[in-house]
Amino acid sequence: MQSLGKLRLLQVWLRLLLLQGSWNFERLQGGGWFYAMVPVLRTLYGEKELRRIAREHVGYFNTHPYLAPSVAGAVIRIELERAAGREPEIGIAEFKEMVAAPYAAVGDALFWGGLRPLAAGISLLLASKGLAIAPIVFLLLFNALPLWFRIVGFLSGYELGVKSVEFLQHRNLPDLAIRTKETSVVLLGGVAAFMVFQLLNIEKKPLWLGFLAVPAVLLCAYLAGRGISTLMLVLLSAGLIMLCSLFSADVAVWLP
Amino acid sequence: MIVTELAIGAGVALVCGLDRVAALQVMISRPIVAAPLAGWLLGDVGIGLEIGLMVELLWLARLPVGAAIPPDDTQVAIAGTVLAVSLGQVLGQSGLEYQLLCLLITIPLGKFGQFFDRFARQYNGRNLALSDSYLEAGQFRAIEQAHRMGICCFALASLGTYFVIICGGLLMIPLLAPLLLPSLEATAQWLRIALPLVGIAVILGTINVSRSLTLFGASFGMAFLLMWLV
Repeated sequence: MQSLGKLRLLQVWLRLLLLQGSWNFERLQGGGWFYAMVPVLRTLYGEKELRRIAREHVGYFNTHPYLAPSVAGAVIRIELERAAGREPEIGIAEFKEMVAAPYAAVGDALFWGGLRPLAAGISLLLASKGLAIAPIVFLLLFNALPLWFRIVGFLSGYELGVKSVEFLQHRNLPDLAIRTKETSVVLLGGVAAFMVFQLLNIEKKPLWLGFLAVPAVLLCAYLAGRGISTLMLVLLSAGLIMLCSLFSADVAVWLP
Repeated sequence: MIVTELAIGAGVALVCGLDRVAALQVMISRPIVAAPLAGWLLGDVGIGLEIGLMVELLWLARLPVGAAIPPDDTQVAIAGTVLAVSLGQVLGQSGLEYQLLCLLITIPLGKFGQFFDRFARQYNGRNLALSDSYLEAGQFRAIEQAHRMGICCFALASLGTYFVIICGGLLMIPLLAPLLLPSLEATAQWLRIALPLVGIAVILGTINVSRSLTLFGASFGMAFLLMWLV
């Protein structure tokens, strides 16, 4: 069976970094998928065959951008089998359809829902202390795992083909996503406590007032859960704080 | 001078805006990175860090999933930083209360980002709808070109959002500064933590974790008590 050169694979991997470049409501990442795969197709097929084969890569495609290289690696392997005249165990369209949505769901939960708040929480702690390394820490913390999946996922997809699905299954990503989210929530509790503590020290207010932040945050969480927009919550809380400041002298009398 | 600073901000807006959807997605588009980057290029990383700190968590819960388009917090953070640094020098304003004023004006304008982003995606849809006819004609390079045009379109959308926020800020901040700065002065420290706390609340309200409120309350209480007692 024919294999692809390292440079060709690198070209596909680099093009996958632009997967969402032509994101649209009709084909989602379809344009980016074709853009990434076309160098491989050109290598494997002649002009006439290329038109027929390319049809399978032009349509709708949507998955998580960090897990797309894993799909691409496996699809390249299937294309190699097909170009060698062997009947692949699963068609390319079927394979894409089979893995794209689950990969998208688990990727969204793990990377956007779990890892991003976690990295943001840690870097915010540093930023609130005025440390300029906070953005660098965020980038390092966040990007380590996605970069690993982008590289190793692509290579394992290329090596294992359809069986690369097992590679991701063994990583138990849904569980990892839940644990990451739980860790994020705990960390954000610590971040909130630190910021409130810092504020009360600066403002020289009694520290027990800090516990009032919990019901305030929970109320906002309840309102957010009921569909009140972030912008509305920002404007409401800013307005409330400014209004309270008008009466702060009166309130201060009641504080120890 | 201010034109140069606005142009530097536009450069950052372009690069970080592309990272948001179209290219790389290494998260230099997050406010905690983009704002300090803009601040650093404009000579005041501290302002960028403060603005990044206040904006980072606000829309973090809005996942860029499928067709969902969150407000453009990248451009809010960058434009807020540019306005805080460059317009602040022109107006002779500085300090946390002035940064907050810039943010309170730029945050609602972030909604324009959704408009520009949607426009870019619709344009891409129309452009790529021609793919089938390109395919029939064997014009693969035309499909690749359409994809590259999509990236340009996202870049223009980012710049459009940046300029709308900047123009809104340049018009409104000089007018509102004398009215709002005195009351912001008294409340600046409270507002500084209110924005991240609202962001945390929105995350808690939308994150799909059982017992998230219990976990948050327990970790807040434990951390706060530790800081208080130690």
